[in-house]
Amino acid sequence: MPTVRDQKAKVVSDEPAARDNSQPAGDFEPSIEVEIAGVRFQNPVLTASGTFGYGQEFAHLIDLNRLGGICVKGISAAPMPGNPPPRIYETDSGMLNAIGLQNVGAKRFLEEKLPFLRTLRARTVVNVFGYTTEDYVRCIEILNDGDGIDAYELNISCPNTRCGGMVYGNDPKLTEEVVAASKRAARLPLWVKLSPNVTDITVLARAAENAGADALSLVNTFVGMAIDVETRTPRISNVTAGLSGPAIKPIALRMVYQTARAVRIPIIGLGGIATTEDALEFLIAGARAVQVGTANFYAPDTSIKIVEGIRTYCRRKRLHVDDLVGSLQVPTPNVEKATEY
Amino acid sequence: MDDQVVAVIENKPLGSSYGLLSLDAARQAQAARPGQFAMVRILGTGGVLLRRPMSIYDVKPDAAPHSGPRLIQLLYKVVGRGTRLMAGLKPGDPVALLAPLGHGFFVEDYLEQAEQADEVLHVAGGIGIAALLMAARELAEKGFKQRLFFGGRSRGDLVGAVDFRPYLRQIVVVTEDGSCGCRGYVTGPLEDHLARYPDRRFLLLACGPWAMLQATAELAGRYGHRLLVSMENRMGCGLGVCLGCCIRVEGEGHGAYQRVCTEGPVFWADKVVWERGTLPIT
Repeated sequence: MPTVRDQKAKVVSDEPAARDNSQPAGDFEPSIEVEIAGVRFQNPVLTASGTFGYGQEFAHLIDLNRLGGICVKGISAAPMPGNPPPRIYETDSGMLNAIGLQNVGAKRFLEEKLPFLRTLRARTVVNVFGYTTEDYVRCIEILNDGDGIDAYELNISCPNTRCGGMVYGNDPKLTEEVVAASKRAARLPLWVKLSPNVTDITVLARAAENAGADALSLVNTFVGMAIDVETRTPRISNVTAGLSGPAIKPIALRMVYQTARAVRIPIIGLGGIATTEDALEFLIAGARAVQVGTANFYAPDTSIKIVEGIRTYCRRKRLHVDDLVGSLQVPTPNVEKATEY
Repeated sequence: MDDQVVAVIENKPLGSSYGLLSLDAARQAQAARPGQFAMVRILGTGGVLLRRPMSIYDVKPDAAPHSGPRLIQLLYKVVGRGTRLMAGLKPGDPVALLAPLGHGFFVEDYLEQAEQADEVLHVAGGIGIAALLMAARELAEKGFKQRLFFGGRSRGDLVGAVDFRPYLRQIVVVTEDGSCGCRGYVTGPLEDHLARYPDRRFLLLACGPWAMLQATAELAGRYGHRLLVSMENRMGCGLGVCLGCCIRVEGEGHGAYQRVCTEGPVFWADKVVWERGTLPIT
């Protein structure tokens, strides 16, 4: 059955008969575009905030125009100095960090970093941080003057600052308050980045949705720590730190799966994604897009490889990315043993 | 700077816990300047996640008589999982090499300072020696007089000293256990030298543990000489984006955190804020 590449995603997803796994790929060209809160991304792969600087740092290593989007390092209304060293430590299949949101501040971001990002085909998502609701609003108001930002990602989940950040992300009432205020201020779609350091992430997800969030990014890092037993001192000056990397992937994936069933707004999944298969898992679990984080540090071409990997997979499966999203098939207990592998 | 998968040419053990890794990386070798570093990722093992920052010890032409540098050499000490895996590398093994990185011994007015000095003094602690060889050669080619003060825990920690011989007038070795040279810390004979020649002007270049750099900075300040330090820290990316390697450096207002990988690794020592509470644990 013919499918048209530029067909609206919704229409395509209503035609499951168009895809037959047993057919050779032939000339089927999948659409890997996705739409999040009215913004189209050329593919569902973004780089995660805090792992990709302001994009330009990678310009000579990879073709940034092949990315779906770039989430820039968390920006606050005023510059922040960050935490004392040591700030990072590698653990088994992961890394701890407590950077403390060191950043140049919203004004300098607009002047020095945004002009470059504006030239790219990749979308620019600006991660916004504050200590108080007023800080978040003030930061957004400054950023509203910028030309070339496609969405905001509200960081209510940073585990490494004394107030703000995760304090908001752990409390549904505070989440609603800061999301509602930010939504009122924002002239662009508002994503809310959730913390996994909660008992039930769907409670916070619904709180953000109810307060007007246009999309949810999950998850930020898990609070962890490491100790040098020789000196009996913490490995990181902040004592506790955020754990990222492949170690957290299964937990992040579970949270995306749960949240996708609890809210209607799109989800951007992240947490330890380092391969095409990781990214596909998140999409199948219900994420509309994914972010690659820690892998950027050791393999800057990871995101580009994942874009191509998703395209190849979709071609082979004769699926558009939109059909993949949330397509997890869970056998029900009363059905006999599955016959297809 | 390039990110390339390159092959191991040779991995030569130096005593029980050091090694010299030679990588076939012509483009990166030709671009490397004194004091720069590389981020090394060992492929094909599930052992470690992040790349490891390593000083570029030297660049070498290959056997063929033709051209410029082709090999990048990394002098390493086995201290943890990453360097243990590095010690196990065999010729032909692939390594992902991001290099050359950082602001090495070519900060503003560095050569000017060297020209005004009567002598350039290198101060190395253990594996910190790896950051200094290319600088010593470059300065020797420009005709500067140089001396090396080299300290280690024990005789086995004084690797690489022989490579400096052609470029220096003297190498002073010091060990904490007295197994080679005089006993004590490297700053002992360094201070003797500074005190013996109060009228001479020195430029100091140092690389080693934080405490040694701090003590050297204190001496340089006390005797009124300029000191460039090559700083070490844990690094996540080497590209300036993770902000994991920042140290406090005097700057705007009360000070600012600067990235060892990007603004450094070489800093003027009088700009570094040597706070005890912020020791990088390496």
